[in-house]
Amino acid sequence: MSTTVLERLERLPHRNLTVLALRGISTLVPGGWTNITSAEELIHDVLGSNDPELTRQVRERADELSRARHEGYARALSLYDAVNRSQKAAGGLRVLANVAGALPLVKRLTLFTPANETLQAADLSLKVAAEMLAFTQVNGLPGDSFADFGASLAEYTSEARVRMAALVCFDAFLPLGDQALHRLDGLLGRVASHELRQLPAYVGMAGLIPGRGDQAHLSFLRRSVDQWVGWADGFASQLGLTGQRSVRALETTIGPWHGGFEQLAIFLDAFTDTYAHTGVQAVARRLVERAAAEI
Amino acid sequence: MSRRLSWGLGLLLVAGLVIGAFFVLPFRSWLPGGTVADVPNRLVVNGTALNRLFPAPQLGEKLVFTQEKRGFSQARLKQGDEVRALLSISDVTSSPASRAKFSGSGSTLGGWPLVEQGDQSSALLVADRFQVKVIGQGAGLSPDERHELLGAFNLQALAALNPASAPKSLPQAKPQAPSLAGQSPATRSSLAAQPLVAQPSASPGSPTQPSANMLAALKAARAAAHRETAVLTPAA
Repeated sequence: MSTTVLERLERLPHRNLTVLALRGISTLVPGGWTNITSAEELIHDVLGSNDPELTRQVRERADELSRARHEGYARALSLYDAVNRSQKAAGGLRVLANVAGALPLVKRLTLFTPANETLQAADLSLKVAAEMLAFTQVNGLPGDSFADFGASLAEYTSEARVRMAALVCFDAFLPLGDQALHRLDGLLGRVASHELRQLPAYVGMAGLIPGRGDQAHLSFLRRSVDQWVGWADGFASQLGLTGQRSVRALETTIGPWHGGFEQLAIFLDAFTDTYAHTGVQAVARRLVERAAAEI
Repeated sequence: MSRRLSWGLGLLLVAGLVIGAFFVLPFRSWLPGGTVADVPNRLVVNGTALNRLFPAPQLGEKLVFTQEKRGFSQARLKQGDEVRALLSISDVTSSPASRAKFSGSGSTLGGWPLVEQGDQSSALLVADRFQVKVIGQGAGLSPDERHELLGAFNLQALAALNPASAPKSLPQAKPQAPSLAGQSPATRSSLAAQPLVAQPSASPGSPTQPSANMLAALKAARAAAHRETAVLTPAA
């Protein structure tokens, strides 16, 4: 039996580079962020009660729900994992390329690495699309009208503000510069379908993206990014997020950074999994809310 | 060992590993099979039908739907930015164990059995089939406030949702419905406004019509996908 969502939650690290990076970025977000890694704590928080018998029942129901594939909670986690694996693989390659670029014999290795901006943009768009797909997997299509659905999406993103801030800073501003959100559509227009197929996450997600064929998927990605950019732009300007500020926020927890923004982005890609970490926490909360309502 | 044999063995090993990886590693959770409590989808009321039965928000409050699945719908009652309560309706067909706690219940609300769970949640079993629950969040709600919210759900319409496919609970539901009609308007002052606000999207109807259609189409597509997986499922 695969691991349940709450088991995944309990296995999350208490203190490592990922947690430090998130803690750093959360200083930019009002309300902050607590690293919940205990299922019991989460259940108590949702239920507003410490009754051990109720906690046990909620836990049991939550495990049952996360094992049922049709409910989508586990599926959302697989999405996050796929994206995370891809991010780490690409990040690792780029770290290698950075090191290898300095060594004369293996310099040619840099030719094989996906270091250009187009691919970074494609990677970001995959993350955004994964976010939307995971949202529908976890929450269904809540409400009866599009306005209800929009409100529900806004509610979800406000709950996951730190998650969104990390996405905007680590995957847009640091690697692509402060104008990233405005340039994104242009960059995505340049992505060719064979480049898309280079991304490991795409291979894992292709079956879940609506439409047939790479071109259809690409247009879905562009449309979902288009919607997200409108929201993300407002979010970034409201919090005053920029590459410079996010580096400074990160330095408060990780330590001083002397390299360029792009190197920092590569470093974060290769050595942290902020996306999957916060993803597990977001899914676990929704799961526990449902389980608490059903016991 | 001949060269050909060693190549053959090597290829066999690689093929075995690839096939093993395909079945065991990341794809296992994507294979069809298994629902909650193995109940076929058609026996469970869809969450879409439950949305319109939620209480209408009062002045300064906002109702944000957060989850909608088969047999389940949940919304947050917000006041400003603060979440006051989680409101939900679930079909106990997919969680039979939750029905048991109502058998020992002494109190009723609108004729339906009422149960308190812990300090912050109250649950009501309507028509022996739907569990309506209010869970206080943040600063919390008093039991009276929770009961008032429970009474503000459209319980009568909810009881009427119980289809003929579950005949054993129908005889119980019917005699209780008339008494409910008399009682429920008294439970919450704002309830008089309910028929008007039960469908909040009705007033800006014409402009939102196309997007509502889009959502309906999306939902139909999802339902079709569900059917597909149900066909693939050997257990169903």
